[in-house]
Amino acid sequence: MFTPPLDALLMLMVATPAVGWVAYKKGYRKVPGIYASASLLVAAYFLYGLYKEVEVAENGIVTRAFDIPLGACLEIDFFSVFMAFLYIIIGLFATVYSIKFMERDSGLTEYYTLMLGMIAGMTGIVFAGDFFTLFVFWELMCLTSYALVAFRKQKWEPIEAGFKYLIMSAAGSATILLAMSFLYGMTGTLNFAALADGLTAATSEGWLYITLALVIVGFGVKAAIVPFHTWLPDAHSAAPSPISAMLSGVMVQTGACALVRVLLLVFNSAQPAWQMTLAVFAVFTMFGGNLMALLQDDLKRLLAFSTIANLGYIIFGFATVSHDGLTASLFHITNHAIMKTLLFLCAGAFIRQTKTRDLRKLRGIGKIMPVTGVFFAIGTIAIAAFPPLNGFWSEMMIIAAGVRAEMIIFSTLTLANMALSVVYYFRLIRIIILEEPTKVSKRATKAPVSMLIPLLILAFLCVFIGVYPGPFIGASSKAAEALLNIEAYADAVLGGL
Amino acid sequence: MISLNYYIACAVALYIIGMYCLASKRNMIKLVMGIEILVNAAHLSFVAFSAYRSVGYIDPLGHAIVIMSIGFAGCITALALTIVTYAYKHYKTLDVRKLRRLRW
Amino acid sequence: MEIDRIGVVGLITTVFAALIFSTLIVEYEFPVFKYADPDQPPKLVESETAIIGQEVSRFLWDYRAIDLIAQAFVLFAAAACCTALLRTEERKK
Repeated sequence: MFTPPLDALLMLMVATPAVGWVAYKKGYRKVPGIYASASLLVAAYFLYGLYKEVEVAENGIVTRAFDIPLGACLEIDFFSVFMAFLYIIIGLFATVYSIKFMERDSGLTEYYTLMLGMIAGMTGIVFAGDFFTLFVFWELMCLTSYALVAFRKQKWEPIEAGFKYLIMSAAGSATILLAMSFLYGMTGTLNFAALADGLTAATSEGWLYITLALVIVGFGVKAAIVPFHTWLPDAHSAAPSPISAMLSGVMVQTGACALVRVLLLVFNSAQPAWQMTLAVFAVFTMFGGNLMALLQDDLKRLLAFSTIANLGYIIFGFATVSHDGLTASLFHITNHAIMKTLLFLCAGAFIRQTKTRDLRKLRGIGKIMPVTGVFFAIGTIAIAAFPPLNGFWSEMMIIAAGVRAEMIIFSTLTLANMALSVVYYFRLIRIIILEEPTKVSKRATKAPVSMLIPLLILAFLCVFIGVYPGPFIGASSKAAEALLNIEAYADAVLGGL
Repeated sequence: MISLNYYIACAVALYIIGMYCLASKRNMIKLVMGIEILVNAAHLSFVAFSAYRSVGYIDPLGHAIVIMSIGFAGCITALALTIVTYAYKHYKTLDVRKLRRLRW
Repeated sequence: MEIDRIGVVGLITTVFAALIFSTLIVEYEFPVFKYADPDQPPKLVESETAIIGQEVSRFLWDYRAIDLIAQAFVLFAAAACCTALLRTEERKK
């Protein structure tokens, strides 16, 4: 039907309630979590099979297409596989962590169902080869993430944050739908390849630019570009920590990736316009995120604003529209997903043991929970871009790509932002690790081992990619090449016609 | 046949009305209605285009997309109303300005 | 009666924005299917109320089966979302 990994994710998602019901009757509370982790492993195995298929396919593109250009269509190139692999791995860490973290919550079956649904939606977005197919999976991702943000509905904060997120994000989806209708009105199709083919002639078409603005706004709400970012800090701090990690590590980047894929394929003829717009938005996003992060006294809010700043770097890399810039951005997406998941999961461990997110009350918690503290320090140093760790390489690559694309001013501003961000990362390290413990943090106990295992692997990955970045840069480079190879993408489905 | 431009103008006007509704209304139910207006602006535009593909015929692609998209709009509304009921349980009001405890 | 300032300002801007956009749209022609691929004729259906429904559903199954199946999963996810939020707290300790 779809491709095997997507089939596996969707089918196993549908089966989760049955498994959960049986487990509930027998009284095993941990079964749904273990089942979800196993499902993700199965999906990863199928994805590996798909990767082998993509490797030998012509031009590196596998298609599942009905009658093009009217029918639904899936196109999988190396970029799709790269992103899907990231989603499944980060999802696996979050799920394994959730088994212990969420044990005191009710509704666990639904929780894991929605988690699998969200990962399936994100995978579908990068696999889609048709704008409406993308939209279907987009809605799957959005719906499940709204419910996951509002999951702890007995408190006021998740409900309020969930409502705000739902309204803003649904308005964004409606904007994308309006843009789709205009594209349909211009070309009579919604297939990406056919759109790319048809709109190359439309260089000076006023309506194309209106559509472009709608697309940037619509995807920009999800990608938290600065004027539309206000849902992100609330949603990230109100959601359960593994969900925050998923949202901040991969879901927001899915928005950015879908945006850049649509821009590259569909709006190829208007490239100078959107390139500049994206670069300007990227600088706003960096400044917004970094300046607001300096003022925060809430651990998860601080991390959420740091996510916004990092999205600014990623979007700047995309805005260069060069092979270097895209490689750097995709590499930074990988690194940021690993680092931010590590930080959010560590923050979740602190919050679980102390029941507070206030940095003033969390002083010196690293001394009471030394193992988690060390992992948190590794994550913070990595994201502050210090040389032996992974954040350094990708951030330097983004700046280098900016300089090579002759966007000197923007590169300078990016560098200034990276320097600015070091201030609050060091404040975070000082507060969490170096200061004397407060009363609240003294009451904390060590985090359980099953929560520490994902942290250990993520921290190890931070160091490993930092010391040995070669293969990861190679994979990102290959993915960037697939993203930029528009002709092959169009030929893969239109070539036979 | 009326010019297509009027349909597009109407769709864009609906979109602007929806955005106005989201920006200025206090009642949470009205915000959900604003989302519906936004989505329906896009639907109107799709259906109008599919009718103007060629005279006397319609293009089924636009209709197909609208049929599926109505389903998604329903899903979003259902979830939004679920969240609204909880917000009402917590605050005993539907006024969205009373529950702006979150900082920007 | 208290006058809602945001409402008034918003209403005026909205009316103006709508007027400006409408004039623009009526003035500047939308490129209706100008960039459609002439080698790919659409699968047109006669504009008869009696047959449009059947033809569109046939089109849905013939061309958009993937989307339809995916939509079934979206509906399932929506149901799961609502049950997740409407669950009762039974395991309180």
